[in-house]
Amino acid sequence: MHPALVVLSYGLITALATGLGAVPFAFVRMVSARAVAYANAVASGLMLGASFGLVAEGTRHGSWQTIGGAIVGVAFILATQRFLGRYDIQFGTARGAGARRVTLVLVVMTAHSFAEGVAVGVAFGGGMTLAAVITAAIAVHNIPEGLAISAVLRPRNVSVFRCAAWSIASSLPQPLMAVPAFLFVETFATALPYGMGFAAGAMVVMVFVELLPEAYEQARKPTVALLVSVTLVAMVLFQQYL
Amino acid sequence: MDPTLTVLLFSSVAAGSASLGALPLVLRERLPIAWIGWANAVAAGLMLGAAYALLVAGLDLMPVWGATGALLGIAFVYWTHAVSGTADLELNRLEETSPEYGYKVLLVNALHSAAEGIAIGVAMVESLSFGIFMALAIAVHNVPEGTVLCAILKSRGVRLADAAGLAVATNVSQVLLAVAAFAVLTAAPSAVTWVLGFGVGALVYLVVFELLPESYRQAGSTSIALVTIAAMGIVVLLSG
Repeated sequence: MHPALVVLSYGLITALATGLGAVPFAFVRMVSARAVAYANAVASGLMLGASFGLVAEGTRHGSWQTIGGAIVGVAFILATQRFLGRYDIQFGTARGAGARRVTLVLVVMTAHSFAEGVAVGVAFGGGMTLAAVITAAIAVHNIPEGLAISAVLRPRNVSVFRCAAWSIASSLPQPLMAVPAFLFVETFATALPYGMGFAAGAMVVMVFVELLPEAYEQARKPTVALLVSVTLVAMVLFQQYL
Repeated sequence: MDPTLTVLLFSSVAAGSASLGALPLVLRERLPIAWIGWANAVAAGLMLGAAYALLVAGLDLMPVWGATGALLGIAFVYWTHAVSGTADLELNRLEETSPEYGYKVLLVNALHSAAEGIAIGVAMVESLSFGIFMALAIAVHNVPEGTVLCAILKSRGVRLADAAGLAVATNVSQVLLAVAAFAVLTAAPSAVTWVLGFGVGALVYLVVFELLPESYRQAGSTSIALVTIAAMGIVVLLSG
């Protein structure tokens, strides 16, 4: 098989793994307003932890590039938010502001997959021997991201199956970006810190503009703080071992 | 200079800078409520940046120990708020005048600065330059925090000079814990990873619990997010 096809198929496996994040929601039923707040807090912790990891990795390649990418990521999400505000969208049982929030989460997580795809491709370029290890690592690392997406979708009465489908869809840029990144390693390696900064900026602004304010409206402050800080620590620990 | 004196000096600078928070109130009798929100957002962003810097310092050490320390830090702050009855305290009641509210606000500020003191102390053990960076980041963070405290105290009829003094007084625990953490960790370096984690957990919890929630009710969520991220980005850039 052509090496590029190997990278593509491995990338697809990592994307499919994201769908596993929906599995816990097959067992718990949560649709109350408070459940939405808790889910938002958990998603915030996961996304903040992921961005801390991305920034730490990105700044190793270049601080200014990472920050530059982050500024573009913040601007991109704010522009998308304005754009979505002009349309009346619907998602599950959510309408208006709620539906906009869900759509934004999907946009953010999909945008962040582009950067991850580049990271996978560049890593593969370092030699095929470690390919299986890298794929397993990224695949497992994708599960909490699917969890973050499902945590936002499920309380809006989106079915577990659709949660899994949206999670996988958000990771499809991974195989798509991994192949060109693998084929043109040199070029993409330079772009890596920008991409990581972009993904981190997009996730951080999503947390502070949409997820946390909504969480505070429906749940007590200590609970929100507890969920965010514990999931952040768990996410950082998780990434550190993969 | 003896390292312990360096820790004492810079943590004192951090505590003392809280008094600068009174300055905006010299210029304006009563601050617009949105300013209080932005002040909280600046403080939140700087604190998150500080947590990030501690996290990066501990990342290559023993992650499981660091994470255990972080859970202890979170549990510590959660517990102190719960048992002191401050878990639902709102730091934006300019009209509330009950004595109980005033004392609770001072108490929350004092508890909060304890975690910051530990963060400064452990950073100083990592390296004096990292510690000084951390102390200065906390010092700048203390200014907007002092502004919020002084605004609350002034609306309760406390003289501005006294309010500035109280802002510094609530930060005395910062100096004490910075020096104590530095002394203990210099003697027992194997505990550094735990304490780095403790600092990360406690700071992140405090940001989400204390600094961010009210700010959203005082200013729009987009401006709060941008101010927080900008403050955090500056600390991240300078720490890297």
